Amino acid sequence: MTTSNVPPAVRLEGITKRFGDVVANDDVDFTLEKGSIHAVLGENGSGKTTLMSVLYGLYDQDEGEIVIDGEPRAVESPRDAMAAGVGMIHQHFQLVETMTVLQNIVLGHEPTENGLVDESAARDDVEEICSRYDFDVDEFLDTRVEELDLGAQQRVEIVKSLYRGAEILILDEPTAVLTPQEVESLMAVMNDLRADGRSLIFISHKLDEALGIADDITVLRDGEAIGTVRAEDTDEQELARMMVGREVLFDRLSREAEPGDPALEVEELWMSGDRGRDQVQGVDLTVREGEILGIAGVQGNGQSELVEGITGLRSVDDGSIRLGNEEITDRSRRARIESGIAYIPEDRQTEGLVQEYSLVRNALLGNQTVEPYATGGRIDWSAVKDHAEEIIEEFDVQPPTVENDAESLSGGNQQKFIVGREIGHDPDVMIAAHPTRGVDIGSIEFIHNRLIELREEGLAILVVSSKLEEIQKLSDRIAVMYEGEFVDVVDPERVTEEELGLLMTGGSLEDDVTEETETDTEAQA
Amino acid sequence: MSSGVGRLRTGLDRAAAKMLDATVLERIGIAIGSTALALLIGLVIVAASGYDPIQFANQLVVGSFGSERAIARTLRYSTLFVLAGVSVAIAFRAGVFNIGVQGQFIVGGFATVVSIVSLAPYLPDGTIGGVALMVIGTIAAIVAGGLYAALPGVLKAYGGANEIITTIMLNFIAIGFVGWLVAGRFGDPEATATRTERMPDTVGFPSVVFDDPNLSIVGILVTVVVVVVVAAVMTRTSFGYDMVTSGYQESAATYSGVDAKRMIVSTMTFSGMVAGLGGAIFAIMIQGYFTDPSGIGNYGFDAIAVSLLAANNPLGVVPAGLLFGGLESSSSHIQINSDVPVQLIDGIVGLVVLFVAVPELFRMIARRTGLGGESR
Repeated sequence: MTTSNVPPAVRLEGITKRFGDVVANDDVDFTLEKGSIHAVLGENGSGKTTLMSVLYGLYDQDEGEIVIDGEPRAVESPRDAMAAGVGMIHQHFQLVETMTVLQNIVLGHEPTENGLVDESAARDDVEEICSRYDFDVDEFLDTRVEELDLGAQQRVEIVKSLYRGAEILILDEPTAVLTPQEVESLMAVMNDLRADGRSLIFISHKLDEALGIADDITVLRDGEAIGTVRAEDTDEQELARMMVGREVLFDRLSREAEPGDPALEVEELWMSGDRGRDQVQGVDLTVREGEILGIAGVQGNGQSELVEGITGLRSVDDGSIRLGNEEITDRSRRARIESGIAYIPEDRQTEGLVQEYSLVRNALLGNQTVEPYATGGRIDWSAVKDHAEEIIEEFDVQPPTVENDAESLSGGNQQKFIVGREIGHDPDVMIAAHPTRGVDIGSIEFIHNRLIELREEGLAILVVSSKLEEIQKLSDRIAVMYEGEFVDVVDPERVTEEELGLLMTGGSLEDDVTEETETDTEAQA
Repeated sequence: MSSGVGRLRTGLDRAAAKMLDATVLERIGIAIGSTALALLIGLVIVAASGYDPIQFANQLVVGSFGSERAIARTLRYSTLFVLAGVSVAIAFRAGVFNIGVQGQFIVGGFATVVSIVSLAPYLPDGTIGGVALMVIGTIAAIVAGGLYAALPGVLKAYGGANEIITTIMLNFIAIGFVGWLVAGRFGDPEATATRTERMPDTVGFPSVVFDDPNLSIVGILVTVVVVVVVAAVMTRTSFGYDMVTSGYQESAATYSGVDAKRMIVSTMTFSGMVAGLGGAIFAIMIQGYFTDPSGIGNYGFDAIAVSLLAANNPLGVVPAGLLFGGLESSSSHIQINSDVPVQLIDGIVGLVVLFVAVPELFRMIARRTGLGGESR
């Protein structure tokens, strides 16, 4: 690509990384040219962060080679990476909040004189770095980190890496926590660093940002490198297709029953997220009996909050939620479980299962006030055990021993157990958040088929997933969520994954695939 | 992160993983081994201080189980350690750190004495009146202990106040405030010591066993019932499942419909009720009145070690409480029957506490901080 004979700053060759039975990176090649910005694009779970963690020494690759500045390197720890000039700015900052900015920057690499920290030398070094890149960090060197906003903390992280001599900087979704103004100043900083000859890797799932700043863009999907393109030679359409699209054709499961009455109705729902701002902004949706409504969207656009609002795990600011004819907006999580909302949670490790509980005890999770497992507050453990055994048999959970702790099961088997348990509630509405994330192929098929069967039995099902093929395969209608709103509702038979990808990343479509909705202006599902 | 810290972290991680993976049998083994090792080191210290270690060891055994009197004394202490230990175990199992059992114990015991002394004139004399007073007094203790623990629970759940700090502070408040009341408003002007009026003679448990005035089969039975009930609540009821699940994995508990805030308050209340009951047993079975709480013994504090030694299992609290009761009993025996200074005895008892509690403490910290592998 480049004509110079300078070796690339980083070359990753055939990197493969597995976690148990999940392949996070599959034979990935990647080249970072010196003095350039290389964006790594991909959806959540596509393996971006894993790949960079391999480069930074947080994970050991199972196969493949890391070459830095033309030299093959064994990077077994972040220390090795730093020694090779690689620094990483994590999504969650690695700063000691109660220490000052200066202390954080020099931590672990303090200049010393006679065994004591030479604070003035440290200060000089840091100020020099700041003036070189026109950073404002030197203005608050003695402020404690906890008093800084996130943008400033991020700049502290960058200065910290530079102080440690990083020539190659990995920025893991650096814009995710920033306001638009902060994003702009970050971009300026990245430009300055590139002008100074440093090489940057920019991890993102936002197409416009990648196109705006990067020289090269590599797209990852399902752990594989789909391709590398020059930013100037590509556009959002192509990137969206690379990111999410496989083929325009997809294999939809056949379905017979027609949707019935509305089972779940959400009106004008407003919710705040952990970060305080409006994460769900006036969402309307209806799921009918015997219908699967899919919600597509890049993670972090309000889907998780929406699901938690419906299932009763997060309070809503405004709007209403109805189950059948009953208003349930003010009902507790437990009351909603009892009135027939089943929920396959996004995070099976921390929510869906108690890791140190046996499968028997896990079979009670969410059922502890439901007959026949508990009557008048007393648990009938033999009924619970029978239930656990039923789940294991019907959902083919391996190994089939109910006494095993949940943590000893593989991800796919854990998920099958949860799906089995939630279906066992005999619900009217099923909310499935990323039902097959990190699950092996066989289990994916199985879970999909079960969901379709439930649909045929007349359940109203809401599926949230960032995997488009899953959404397309399962859904009767697809609502696309972007920045807290439904931007469009589309017909899965007529939309292409490319078009969906574009909608998910903030683009818009010609009207032809948009479903004729009852409302004229706003998208309603 | 500096390399030293990194290496320390790796080491801790490995140790923590081992601790977390230990089976129940291994943990019992660790507890017994720790006790033996602590006693061994204690004997070495005794020898080094110029006393006869063999005699000391002998008195340790004789003082706790050597005679009917010693056994009665051991059981008396054990009763209190077990009740206070169960109280701690309830909270710890639910992931709430109730360090305020001492205060709840004091408030409960004091409530018993005050309610009985003030109601005695209105109830008939004799056994029936005595039983009625004891029932009322015990209920008063349970309510008072529960409310006194609910307070830090509410502060934590709805105000974000760290329960470790608030419960410790509330201990001091209980000691100071009850002490003030015992010396003033509720003090017995006739008595030489600072204490309340004596409860009527009809209030008191029959001893039945061992003929010790301060040990009653009733107290032992109440303790056994409490242990069994608490164990059953934890393992066989929806409430217990909610509680224990909150302790293991709060996010999963919330997913399953537990209201985390309300759970904190319920847990603290439940824990405080048992502590208060312990106070009632102390007042009725042992004292007969209530003295200045700064001098009644550290049952509520030692109960933390008892509970940790029992891995916060209410059934395990029984042997752990017996061990602590035995040590307490031995220590009062040795104080009287040998010239080994009391400080040295306390130090050796402390050593045992340290040795047996540390492995469990380490395990709990590991679980809280995510050492020894994620998602535990």
